[in-house]
This record gives sequence, C-alpha cells and structure tokens, in this order.
Amino acid sequence: MPAELLLRADNISYSQGGRLILDSISFELRRGEITTIIGPNGAGKSTLTNIVNGLIDKHSGVIERSPGLRIGYLPQKVYVNTLMPLSVERLLRLTRKSSDEEIDHALTQSEVGHLRRRQVGSLSEGELKRVLLARTTLGKPDLLVLDEPTAGVDVSGEVRMYQLIGELRQQLQCAVLLVSHDLHLVMSQTDQVLCLNQHLCCSGLPESVSRHPEYLALFGPQASESIAVYAHHHDHEHDVAAAPEAHRHD
Amino acid sequence: MTELLDDFMLRALLAGLIMVAIAAPMGCLMVWQRLAFLSDTLGHAAVLGVGLGLLLQVKPIFGVLAVALVIVFSLSRVSSFNSALSETTLAIISHTGLAGGIILVGLLPGPGVNLEAILFGDLLATTRGDLLNLLLTTALLVVLLLRHWRAFVAVSVSREIAQAEGIEVRRVQFLMYVMIALLVAVMMKVMGVLLIAAMLVIPTSSARLFSRSPEQMVLISGLYGLAALAGGMTGSFHFDWQTGPAIVVSATLMLLLTLAVTRVFKPRLD
Repeated sequence: MPAELLLRADNISYSQGGRLILDSISFELRRGEITTIIGPNGAGKSTLTNIVNGLIDKHSGVIERSPGLRIGYLPQKVYVNTLMPLSVERLLRLTRKSSDEEIDHALTQSEVGHLRRRQVGSLSEGELKRVLLARTTLGKPDLLVLDEPTAGVDVSGEVRMYQLIGELRQQLQCAVLLVSHDLHLVMSQTDQVLCLNQHLCCSGLPESVSRHPEYLALFGPQASESIAVYAHHHDHEHDVAAAPEAHRHD
Repeated sequence: MTELLDDFMLRALLAGLIMVAIAAPMGCLMVWQRLAFLSDTLGHAAVLGVGLGLLLQVKPIFGVLAVALVIVFSLSRVSSFNSALSETTLAIISHTGLAGGIILVGLLPGPGVNLEAILFGDLLATTRGDLLNLLLTTALLVVLLLRHWRAFVAVSVSREIAQAEGIEVRRVQFLMYVMIALLVAVMMKVMGVLLIAAMLVIPTSSARLFSRSPEQMVLISGLYGLAALAGGMTGSFHFDWQTGPAIVVSATLMLLLTLAVTRVFKPRLD
C-alpha cells in the first residue's frame, strides 16, 4: 500500500520575464515521506517550493492538493521585520491559538526553549530558523516545506537539524519537501530525490539517483560516493520504481 | 452640548485627539510594512485632488479621496507580491501630483485657495463638517483594524509565511492601501498634505525604542502623539506658531529626548 497521496504536481512549467525557469516537472508527495530537491544554483528549487506552497500561482500545469492540506513553510531567507517589537512566543501565536504547553513543547523540541521570551529581532539566523521550524509544527501541518533549513546554521547544528526533521516527520506523520545543498547529510533519510536543473533530470531513491548520468554530470562522482556511504533504511514499501525515472533528455 | 463645539479651540482639540487615536495604529502598521513613503506620496498627490475637487465643484476631500484611490488601485496592480513598492515610482507620483495640483489650483478662477492651509494644515480652522468626516472615517478604520488586526500583524512579520498559512496577502495589502488613502484624505485638513507622514512616523519611532509587543507599540505611539498634540497646540496658542508644524516639531523633540534617555538607561530590549 503506498502512503496517502498529499500532493501531485503534473507537468509544471514556469517562466519569468521570458526566461524558462521550470520545464514540465511532475512528482508526487506522500504522507510520511521525505522528498529532497537537489540541484545547482538557479535550478529553480525555491521556485518549485513556492509553487507547491501556493506563493506562486501563475504557472502552467496542475498542482492537486488533497482537500484541507495544511502546509507549514520555512523560507530560505527569513526576512525579520525588526521594525516591529515581537517576542518569540508571540511569533508562535501569530496566526493560531496555541496553549502554553504546546508552545513549550514545540520550542523545546527545536532546542530553543530558552528563547521563548526573547525579542525576535535579537535572534541569530540559526536561532530564528529553529524558532520558525518550531512555529510550523504548531500548525500540525500535513506537509512541511523547508527551503534550505540549514542555511545560517553551524555545522554541528546541521546534523541536529536533519535529525529534528526526521523526528518531526515521525511525530506529525507529515510529508516533508526539503531543498538542500548538503547531499551527504540529507540522503540517509530521504525517500525520494528530485534532481532539478530547470527540468527534472532524474528522480527516485537516493542510491539510484546517485548513479544516474545526469546527476553525475551535475555533481560529479564524489557526490555519488558520499550518498553511497549511507545505507538507506526502508520502513515501508515504495511503489516508486527503484530504477531512476529519466525525464526529458534534450 | 453641541454649542460647546462653537468654540474653535475645542473643535481643534477634538480633531487633534481623534487624529492621534487613529494615527497610532495606522502609523505602526505603515512603519512595520514600510509603507510610510506611500502616505507621503498620497499626501503630496492630494494637492491634485484638491485642485480637481475645486475644478469639478465638489468638496476637496472627495477629490483627494478619488486621486488617492486611483493611485492605490494602480499601485496594487503593478506591485508584485514580494517586492515593496518602488521608491522611484512613488517619488514620481508624489511630485507630479504636487506640481500638477499647484498649477491647477493656481489656474482656477475666483477667490484664491489658501495653499498654505492645504500644505501645512489648519487645525484651528476645523469645522463641524471636518470633525464629522474625521470621526466617521476613524470609526470605519477602527472597525477594519479590529477585524483584521491578526492578519495585518502576520503580513507585517512575513508575507511569505502568512501566505503559506492561508492568509490572502494581496487582499490584506490592498485593504491596507485603501485604508491609508482614507486616512490621508481626512488627515489632510488637520496636518496638511506635507506633514501627514510625519504624524504617522515620528511618534511611532519613539514608541519603537522601548516597546516589546506590537500592541504596546501602538499604545505608546498614541501617548507620544498625544504629547506632541499638546505641545503643538500650546505653541500655537501662546506663541502663534502654525499648528501642524508645531505638532511635528514637538513630536521630533520628544523622539530626541527619548533617544537620549534610552541611551543613558539602556533598557534591555532582547
């Protein structure tokens, strides 16, 4: 039994100022699965996440979201409005009512419980990322969209951040769509990799993507080795073909 | 009771109080969303509205409102979701509106218009009609603010996150623009087109120095506005200063004083 389908993207293309940014992208996101988008700079990764979370709607193709789908979104660059005085606690309560216990739990889980009374403007980038991650979990999202969640986080924090994302997936039973540069850190947990370079070069399980010629052309053989080091544990069956699906080679 | 309103000083005081009450929340929202320059633009372009109002022989306030609404409608169509309004675009609209308005007002036949009152306001000349306009508009704005406060604050913090969580950011933003247009139209009489933005920004900046929540900032801005009003009206009454400019200068003096005090005491803001 494949897990519940939460979102289906069918033949998504997007151009901006006459320049094609995304070309015929199709994929599915299922409950409990982590999908990682990898690709070079300018590949359209952030654009794709913004189409998934609804920030960009002028695209061609179809996005089908399961009815009532709740999305939690962590942007890559978080612009903090320091013109507004705002405590961390208030930031968490911005658009929903949460109990003190829920807020404590969410902050503690992201290891930022001590920041509860701090002003948002005084946080470091890494602290803010964790606070915002805690915030997205309060909405009990079905789908977490995380655009480079470790940008601005120090190296030891990166490992912890990916552990945390894995924990959240278990706890919330949500799908995770992740944009990442840290190939070797992400891959151990990922169920599906979308290798993006305007078009979808290849997609599938991490091991199979890592052997795909287009992936090797983009990232070089070292990247492939770094993925291969990590064994991929299956805790459920996939109906995704083990062999990478090749899309459009032109 | 109503004969009390015969006293021009009392009418001025009431108009000032209402203005301060609505300038505090609106000013905070505009500062948070970096829209202070928009109020300035609408203020300058209001001169064109006054001219058009006189030309078409309707009340100037309707001309001002019409021009302001046309501007915010156009801006909301051209501005993209992510970017703030372009300063260049705003500056062009602002100064073209002002220049065009002054030419138009100069060309109009009949008894000349008191340009100075338009530019710098004339609080002491507040009529019962002005007072009613101000009161009704403020009531409408307060209702809208209370209804949409949560969305306004969320959009101010991050448009991206608000949108992803189901707030219709473009609609909220457009509502905000229309509210600013309304505010500018009624504040013009009191503060003058050139000084509206000052009343929205300066007390707010003082409040930011030591407030710790959005609502606290609104409240403290209101208190600073009140103090500036008191200072300005006193200066105007006793020393014959122009009221609008006197209010602005006292607001700035209080900002400087607050800056000095917070430097000395350094309250922990984190």
